[in-house]
Amino acid sequence: MRKKTFAAAALLAAASFTLTACGSGDDGDQPVSVVSEETASQQAATVLDKPFEKPDLVLTDTRGKKYDLRAETAGKPTLIYFGYTHCPDVCPLTMNNLAVAKKQLSAADQDKLRIVFVTTDPDRDTPSALGTWLKGIDSDIVGLTGDFDTIQAGARTLGITIEAPHKDKNGKIVSTHGTQVVAFSPKTDAGYVLYGEDATVDDYTKDLPKLIKGQNP
Amino acid sequence: MRRTGPVAGAVLAGALALAGCGTGSSASAHSAPSLSVGSAYMPQPVSDTMAAGFLTITNKGDAEDQLTSVTSDAAAEITVHRTVDGTMREADRLTVPAHGRLVLASGGNHLMFDKLTHKPEQGQTITVELHFTHSGPLRVEMPVKSATYNPTTGH
Repeated sequence: MRKKTFAAAALLAAASFTLTACGSGDDGDQPVSVVSEETASQQAATVLDKPFEKPDLVLTDTRGKKYDLRAETAGKPTLIYFGYTHCPDVCPLTMNNLAVAKKQLSAADQDKLRIVFVTTDPDRDTPSALGTWLKGIDSDIVGLTGDFDTIQAGARTLGITIEAPHKDKNGKIVSTHGTQVVAFSPKTDAGYVLYGEDATVDDYTKDLPKLIKGQNP
Repeated sequence: MRRTGPVAGAVLAGALALAGCGTGSSASAHSAPSLSVGSAYMPQPVSDTMAAGFLTITNKGDAEDQLTSVTSDAAAEITVHRTVDGTMREADRLTVPAHGRLVLASGGNHLMFDKLTHKPEQGQTITVELHFTHSGPLRVEMPVKSATYNPTTGH
């Protein structure tokens, strides 16, 4: 991970040198490139140039109640992840990373934050199955299930591709999880920051206070 | 039972490879895998239904080997999975290359423990036995780490 970060920083540094060299005639864009060089050297976050609209998902929460994502999370800092509970590795790691980082926020900030886990395996992840699993991580996390096609379409609007669960040659169910956490701003309700699956507790701990305010990490 | 097919195939392939090498060099007759295991851990699972395990198998020998199965008192069923682009698939066997490593790490390949006999808690140790096509079984003590354990940072 570090290697990748350094490589990215080096690239950005090279790019900004180039810009500086070219910039003697036109200095309009220079400050922007310098800012991204500084942040990229230590950030797991990718700030999007073109933020995503929050998906218009109306699903079922862990109590079996209807949950309208846009209505319920309007004006709240919100983190969304697509995964499934029969996933032993990345899904619980991602949700635990978020949960541990969240607990280091002030109580007021914890109240504001919405962490939403949308299942990619709705047949097995019933409201109660989701609720039981999330209770093992953080019972404040919102767990959503529903029609797979609806969930897949919602994920697609965030650039996240998920396949319908299907059986492999041994009769085992093969499911897909998203590889990104999308952070939505409380100011604009737009998805403006992405985290890959190698984002750590420390990365989220460092960034959450800013995401809560809708600032760039 | 399920393993009979692939293992038989591997043995056959091995025999063919040896026959091919034998004409030029007698050294190949002595080539053998030499395996050791490191960096083993299990993140504390969310529930008692399943868990993941990670480890690295290093092969200092001149011949490759294949991890064919994994057993443990901690779970009724342990399978090896490959993850590619967020989709996880069961693998029949994974190759440990000669003078190379087989790495099972978060985000990639992993051991999947199903039907756990109890929920592993941080601080405990799980004993697993790795079985190979050529080498004898290896016993591995796998410590249970925190749910957010990161082997790069060590916490």
